[in-house]
Amino acid sequence: MAERVELAKLVELRNVTKAYGPLTQRPHVVLEHINLTVRQHEFISIVGPSGCGKSTMLRIMMGLTKPEDGEVYYHGQEIGRVCEAMSMVFQTFALFPWLNVQENVEIGLEGKPFSKEERKKRVTDMVKVIGLEGYEEAYPRELSGGMKQRVGIARALVSEPEILLMDEPFSALDPLTSTHLREEVLHLWENPDLPPEAVVMVTHNVEEAVYMSDRIIVLTTRPGTIAREVKIDLPRPRDPRSPEIYRIVDEITGLIA
Amino acid sequence: MTIPRAQVGTVIGLLEILRDFHGKVDLAKVADELRLELDDILPAVDAAKLLKLIQVNAGDLILTGEGTTLLSKGISGRKRELYNVVSSLGEINGILNFIRKEHGGTVTKEDLLSFIRQEMPDVDAQQTFSWIVEWGRYALLLRYDDNTQKIKLAKGPTKAS
Repeated sequence: MAERVELAKLVELRNVTKAYGPLTQRPHVVLEHINLTVRQHEFISIVGPSGCGKSTMLRIMMGLTKPEDGEVYYHGQEIGRVCEAMSMVFQTFALFPWLNVQENVEIGLEGKPFSKEERKKRVTDMVKVIGLEGYEEAYPRELSGGMKQRVGIARALVSEPEILLMDEPFSALDPLTSTHLREEVLHLWENPDLPPEAVVMVTHNVEEAVYMSDRIIVLTTRPGTIAREVKIDLPRPRDPRSPEIYRIVDEITGLIA
Repeated sequence: MTIPRAQVGTVIGLLEILRDFHGKVDLAKVADELRLELDDILPAVDAAKLLKLIQVNAGDLILTGEGTTLLSKGISGRKRELYNVVSSLGEINGILNFIRKEHGGTVTKEDLLSFIRQEMPDVDAQQTFSWIVEWGRYALLLRYDDNTQKIKLAKGPTKAS
């Protein structure tokens, strides 16, 4: 067997259990015994039935909420607070309505030790990369959903995070727009000069997960445990209507339904 | 009617779906795949057709050479392609000329609305204004600041990269 170079472990969840209220009362357990390693250059999707704790997993990874049991390691170390090297993209965009596109993107640099000029340069560069050039002075109310989510993505990427977390990033968009934005996110992902080193995306859309990811984590219904990990080695760009994709989609859908 | 009346993202999304189907597919099949009604896709189809990115033939959507070229480009390249296509559309061209010639490159929203009402009496001026801003911003033809309600010609896309 050919030897494979082990890619760096970025984040590790070890035996993570998340619960609300006492652990003895089963219905309050959201996630149970989750073991997951996110490695460099991986695009991971987490899929599962609604209420299985998919989004909670992202929040635990980032340190926004603490697990009741188990540990979260970032580069082999427990950090016990919000991880600065990760940023999140939200389903509902989470933009500030009173700030324009440029200002909303700049929020992503809050608390970072950059000079005013450096800030401006980073925002300008990211706005361009993400296709928002020409929209700098627009307010969220003037933008379509697709453009709003571009702002959300630009804001997340402007700090050059090592890991990008995306919580149902395309679910609020119409199907044509989401097709387009998925494509552009993959373009960005394939550019080695751009951050991040890894992406973890939560989605309820199995086709989307199979089309985009290197690995899919399938969760069971509540309490969420890992039912299966599916590796997808198909080269990109992938044909969303190819038999291989259909086969994997069917397999995963069967596990969830 | 030479102003595209659909969001930029939906038009490019439609082209991407067409490419997945190797450049030609039945309109009804696209709707079916996306679980959309025909009515929901038609604005994107009409806009793509107006921009000559697709052809429509007996219910089939066919990706044109221009559409294929657009898809082959990155984000900046797409903006450059659309800059050329959108600015050559009759009504858009008329509006750009109006801003350039009569106002030296900057007009108020009110000015532009009156121009639209006068030149295109059959359309909803506000809505038309929004579509002009939608495509004008994306293609780097013009900039609009809703605070000052001023619309001005943009410098256009940069050549390199």
